[in-house]
Amino acid sequence: MERRLAIKQILFLAGGMALLPSCLRDTGKSSIALQTIDVSLDQEHLLADISETIIPETKTPGAKSLNLHLFAIKMLDDCYAKEDQELFFKGLDALQDRSEAQFSRSFQKLTVPEREQLLLAIEKDEQAEPAIKKFYDIIKSKTIEGYLSSKYVMTNLVVWELVPGRWNPYYAVKSA
Amino acid sequence: MSNINIDSQKTNTYDVIVIGSGISGGWAAKEFTEKGFKTLVLERGRDVQHIKDYPTTNMYPYEFDHRGQMPLAVQQENPIASRCYIFREDAAHFVVKDNEHPYQQEKPFDWIRGYQVGGKSLLWARQTQRWSDLDFEGPARDGFAVDWPIRYADIAPWYSYAERFAGIAGNKDGLQELPDGEFLPGFPLNAVEDHFKGVLNKKYPNRHVISARCAHLSKPNQIHLDQGRAKCQNRTLCQRGCPFGGYFSSNASTLPWAAKTGNLTMRPNSVVESIIYDDKKGKATGVRVIDANSKQEMEFYAKIIFVNAAALNTNLILLNSKSDRFPNGLGNDNGQLGKFVAFHNYSARISAEYDGLLQWSTDGRNPAGGGYLPRFRNLHKQETDFKRGYAAGFSARRSVNRDSSGVGAALKDNLVKTPLGPWQVGSHMMGETIPKAENFVNLSKDKKDAWGVPLLNISVDYDENDRLMKKDYIEQLSEMFTEAGFKNIKVNDSSQAPGLDIHEMGGARMGHDPKTSILNKWNQVHACKNVFVTDGACMTSTSTQNPSLTYMALTARAVDYAVKSINKYEI
Repeated sequence: MERRLAIKQILFLAGGMALLPSCLRDTGKSSIALQTIDVSLDQEHLLADISETIIPETKTPGAKSLNLHLFAIKMLDDCYAKEDQELFFKGLDALQDRSEAQFSRSFQKLTVPEREQLLLAIEKDEQAEPAIKKFYDIIKSKTIEGYLSSKYVMTNLVVWELVPGRWNPYYAVKSA
Repeated sequence: MSNINIDSQKTNTYDVIVIGSGISGGWAAKEFTEKGFKTLVLERGRDVQHIKDYPTTNMYPYEFDHRGQMPLAVQQENPIASRCYIFREDAAHFVVKDNEHPYQQEKPFDWIRGYQVGGKSLLWARQTQRWSDLDFEGPARDGFAVDWPIRYADIAPWYSYAERFAGIAGNKDGLQELPDGEFLPGFPLNAVEDHFKGVLNKKYPNRHVISARCAHLSKPNQIHLDQGRAKCQNRTLCQRGCPFGGYFSSNASTLPWAAKTGNLTMRPNSVVESIIYDDKKGKATGVRVIDANSKQEMEFYAKIIFVNAAALNTNLILLNSKSDRFPNGLGNDNGQLGKFVAFHNYSARISAEYDGLLQWSTDGRNPAGGGYLPRFRNLHKQETDFKRGYAAGFSARRSVNRDSSGVGAALKDNLVKTPLGPWQVGSHMMGETIPKAENFVNLSKDKKDAWGVPLLNISVDYDENDRLMKKDYIEQLSEMFTEAGFKNIKVNDSSQAPGLDIHEMGGARMGHDPKTSILNKWNQVHACKNVFVTDGACMTSTSTQNPSLTYMALTARAVDYAVKSINKYEI
């Protein structure tokens, strides 16, 4: 039991899901074990900042404390085709380029409103190049998916029931 | 065989051998053991004990690494399994992986299998409708296949018998085409499902929407509690295995019941290579088994053999059971074994929106899944340019209009708001297909599996009747949806291969005449009276109903007959 507890403490909980830490990790490598992609620690921190911009800490936990960026990385690693993964990293670089071009600073040196402004501009840019578009689609949709299916949200905000024990086919609601 | 000594023959001898532990095998085991017969159940897959071996059953969505989605590498390794809706993180361990059990496809056929104790009874959609004489008389009336050797009156008491034990939720709807049964309370329709039902009642006299009938304990009786099962808790996580035994599976119901009698011997990891036929005795004497793990070959003996390996694997075993008397497979004097395979055409869906009845939503979950439209085409006479017809599922649910635009605190707030949107409605087609000699399975001439058993070669396809029927489904459902005021109607004419319906049937069909069928009216091999087939392989035609309830009833009926025959020294 002691050992199990110890293992539990070194697992990363991404929205409630346990991720294995990367063993014998090189300095500069992502903190979780990955199969198909390489993510540097710098990239991981950048992704954390981007996820945190999408779902910030307010009175309730945000992306970083829920490790949603790690969930997004895990999904990118296991559930996306190689070409999407390549577009993702190209798009991540392109995002830094945009930050430099627009603010003469890297994304991490931006203020929160500047970060939001930058991401919103990508979201609204119908002419955005495929890489940055794909990057944004993945990081945003996975951050949201990780958030909505996180233990925090599923037990506190939009409760998911394992055992509903009921079926009410006529549940009165306010008409829209 | 001379190299097997008398002792091992004794220890390997039972009264009955049942091949397969899925829905029909579980029933055979229950019936025989209850009647005092020492019964060996052979299951090719691993053991799955009720509750104990449902590893995901109590997991929350966030406990799955990919929130349910299968990793891309697994999908790429398993293109067939990946097309099945069950093959997700919570239940993929109950689905056969493509590479582990290859087969040959002369034409595309997605063969979905569950190799474990309980088979696909753990995974089934649990829809249970009786057949009526409109179904049993179909081939004779419409001139295809051969006449069913039974009618509704032959099976009706056995439907009742199976329903009482399994526990079927449904309403007495009073429809000739879908006879009522021994029901537990049905799961009621919601506002829009009722609305659609009302519209059909008014505009189409012979079209009905009923609460889907399903094998769930909406209100268990003592017989269900005695099985160790409890009321369905509306989890709708059934494919994981239910810790309450809320739905019927071999694992929760028939197998533990059989075990309690003390007459059951369960042997998982037992690949049946063939049935042993003794030319001198003129009957089958046992089965040849390859241990799935050690690959050691062994034999088991019994007076009666029930083949319940699931439709296509039952064909495989019979085809591979060659002897001097049956050089082309057990019971295959007429060369028809493996032919006249059919399935259900599930290749069309239709969806739409409805912006009425917005004062209602639903709460909790409906394990029945919603409504069911029994077949209405060509019911009493031929009316269309295609033979037979289709049943359809129908369900409605309120959508959630979640605003996920933008980023930051506003987005975060919006995400946890769940403003209700319009109703989403959907239907899927369940079409009868016509059994034909051209739709067949046979044994690969040169390829064998890891246990030395020939691979199954499958050659099954849609035909013109299926295409015309699908066109009609799309037209009729679109029209009915329009009548009901549904908007934004979208048709999904999928090109899914046969097989994905997981309702493959036939190959060893029942019939009156040994010249044109493999089994008689008691599911008994015409030419080998102590072998019975009561799974999907026995089906003469498919009708539109989900078939499992019929397998349960046919199995109980066949066991009853077999036992009476033994007692009269007839087999």
